[in-house]
Amino acid sequence: MDKLLNPDVGLIIWTVVTFLCVVAFLGKFAWKPILAALEAREGKIKDDLRSAEESRRDAEKSRLDLEAKVADLQSRTQSLLDRAEKDGQKIREDLLKVAREESSKIAEKTRRELTEEQRRLVAELRGDVASLAVGAAEKILGKSVDKSVQEKALREAASDLDAWSKAKN
Amino acid sequence: MDFVQTLEHHLIDHVFFQWKLGAASIPVSRLTVMMWISAALAMIVLPLVARSARSGRRTMALSAVEGLVVFVRDEIVISNIGEEGRKYVPYFLSLFVFILLVNLLGMVPLDALKVVGVRGVFGTATGNIAVTGGLALLTFLLINIAGIREQGVVHYVKSLVPHGMPVWLLPLMYPIEVLGLLTKTFALCIRLFANMIAGHIVILAFLALIFLFHSLWIAPLSVAAAMGINLLELFVAFLQAYIFTLLSAIFVGGAIHSH
Repeated sequence: MDKLLNPDVGLIIWTVVTFLCVVAFLGKFAWKPILAALEAREGKIKDDLRSAEESRRDAEKSRLDLEAKVADLQSRTQSLLDRAEKDGQKIREDLLKVAREESSKIAEKTRRELTEEQRRLVAELRGDVASLAVGAAEKILGKSVDKSVQEKALREAASDLDAWSKAKN
Repeated sequence: MDFVQTLEHHLIDHVFFQWKLGAASIPVSRLTVMMWISAALAMIVLPLVARSARSGRRTMALSAVEGLVVFVRDEIVISNIGEEGRKYVPYFLSLFVFILLVNLLGMVPLDALKVVGVRGVFGTATGNIAVTGGLALLTFLLINIAGIREQGVVHYVKSLVPHGMPVWLLPLMYPIEVLGLLTKTFALCIRLFANMIAGHIVILAFLALIFLFHSLWIAPLSVAAAMGINLLELFVAFLQAYIFTLLSAIFVGGAIHSH
């Protein structure tokens, strides 16, 4: 049985030669193309994964951008609306104030004119009443009344009239 | 023919024919022919598979071979040698495939071919210590070549002994480390040889029981036991191809990365 444990040099050489031929041949015609195809595929998968990740990140970024834009627009719209509302409020108040002032001015003016007119009419009327009264008195007495009496009577009548017009006012 | 003769007939290499090359006459043995058959199988089938890889056509065979390639590359070579191991991937792939095919071909009962006139072509080449010795020798060379290639001669020789060793210990450490290197590869040779031949011996022993007892009644038991061992051998054929390749990769990795 010691033959089993004695290595034969010839067989060692044949093993080395055969195996090195296998290494060279398979290395060139089998492993090289298979490894190349494998690595190309792995590279492609890695690239695909990376580009997918990139586009995912891009999409996320543009989503955030859009969201920010929308939020910005919303806040701007809100502020514009607020300002418009405030402006409108102010304009309305201004208009109301102006109108009120205007109307009160007109009323005042009208009142003043009416008072003026009344005073003028009263003065006119007083003159007319005086001369009418004097004329009537002359006719009743048949003669001219003494100037001083006439004046006294006139003054009394005028003060009466004044009192009447004051009471009336 | 007694048991030992039968064993020797089955397990020991015989010169098959003399190859006349001019004046030289080179002996070609039975196991050499077995190796050639395995090598031829690999060299015919794998380039065919590689052709579909080149053309981008996915075939079942390509997927299977790619699984093997990825396993050897990632789990055996790169995980033990690192990224520098990429250039050794074809060597380890060839090593794995060659050992596996020789192991498996040894389990095919090619003796049966004698009915068509082909005689004596059988046997497990990896069950011969010269064959495993040759493969271990190549691993030994690869360890040192890879170590020198990656680290340079001086640095590699320095890295043989652990760093920071006292100088007076070096004359002791160098022989020990070099011996360790030799032992590692020698163990590689013995492991594969013993594993591949043990199953054969056990199968022959079980079958020999029939003739030993001169009884047919022992045959079912012998055949069942031999079949069990055969299944075990089928597993061992894969396992030992893996272990030889893995350990070679680990040793090469150790030579490349000095500690």
